[in-house]
Amino acid sequence: MATAPIDTATLTTVINQCFSYAMDARVSPADQNSFLIEGKRLRGQLLNLLSAQFDNTTAQFAAATKSLTTVNTALSQSGTVLANTAQTLNNISSLIGNLDKLLAVATSFV
Amino acid sequence: MKRTKAGVLVLLCCVLLSGCLNNRYIAPVTAFQTSTTQTISVISAFYASRNSYETQLYLRDIAADPTLAVGTVDASGHPTPLGQPVFSPASIKARLDALSLVGVYASRLYALANTSAPADFATASTALGTSLTALNTTFQGLGASDATAASYVGPISSLVGTIGRMYLSGERDRLVKDAIQEGGPQVNIILSHIKDDMDKIFSVEVITGANQALATAVVAYNKDRAALTYDQRVARLAEISAVADAATSATASAPSKLVSSMMDANNALLKSAGASKQDKQMSLASLNDALGAWVSEIQTLATQIKPLVK
Repeated sequence: MATAPIDTATLTTVINQCFSYAMDARVSPADQNSFLIEGKRLRGQLLNLLSAQFDNTTAQFAAATKSLTTVNTALSQSGTVLANTAQTLNNISSLIGNLDKLLAVATSFV
Repeated sequence: MKRTKAGVLVLLCCVLLSGCLNNRYIAPVTAFQTSTTQTISVISAFYASRNSYETQLYLRDIAADPTLAVGTVDASGHPTPLGQPVFSPASIKARLDALSLVGVYASRLYALANTSAPADFATASTALGTSLTALNTTFQGLGASDATAASYVGPISSLVGTIGRMYLSGERDRLVKDAIQEGGPQVNIILSHIKDDMDKIFSVEVITGANQALATAVVAYNKDRAALTYDQRVARLAEISAVADAATSATASAPSKLVSSMMDANNALLKSAGASKQDKQMSLASLNDALGAWVSEIQTLATQIKPLVK
């Protein structure tokens, strides 16, 4: 079984982007609040993920990694985020769900 | 008698010269010990405060949003920082112990480099010691037949004691060198683990934590601002300003930089201890540069770390 950590550097970027959009006046107050809440949830997961190892051949690891890449790419394009905020927030929710599933199968916390 | 006086002068010159050479570790080892103590104090406070930082962050969120209730477990069943420490206290303690060990190493090195030589040179059981003691005895024995000999007894005794200290310094020099060569690599290993912690775990923790605190304060202000008085708005904006400063400090990676400076100095100390005679001057200059850079950075970095310590 090959173990690997999740890409916490990319996850950190995603979290910081969430907090940035929470303070962006071009985003509606309701969506700002959503970005803040999702950013906090992701940060809570990040602190657990920092010391966790995973079986990188599992479906959970693949799903979380793919979801992380998708969200990171979307958040880096502010035009897309502002035009499709609801979709972006949905993708972030999916990422949180995938990370929860991944944490449930963590092989070790070092 | 003139030959004896000239011999004493030559001996005095030799002693002064050898003293300059033999004491080369005292200044850098003293600076190393002082800076190690300061650095360990700053880094230990940073480590020790990680869980209270997370608790403060959690309570700040609760304070900013009246819809959130405070608790030890959140709505999804996860423990909050109030219910369970985010970072294992045992892990934090292990890191603090490792840092203490580095502090003990620096203190022992300092003690070794600064050990006082015995006042009575006669106790030095060496060939050099025996011959110098004999010289001292010879001068004392000349007192009855040589009118000026008595005036030499004091300086010679002092000189013999000084040479004894220099000899012991020479021995001490070797002990300090051995200690650096044996302990330095272990210190480097401990410091590199601490730097890894800083770069991979705590840097991420403080950067995202500071950004979370800032976003929380901004969102709360924007939500409440219409209902706030001018004075309340000024107070809330001042808080946002302070949190923004902390967020800027968090991105500076000050704890990691401080450990890096310490590693640079330790590496320079190791290099100096292992340098050949012809490279000694250059390695001492590099050591002084590294120590100087470390000393000048400690205060700045400690100031940047302060907002990250709750």
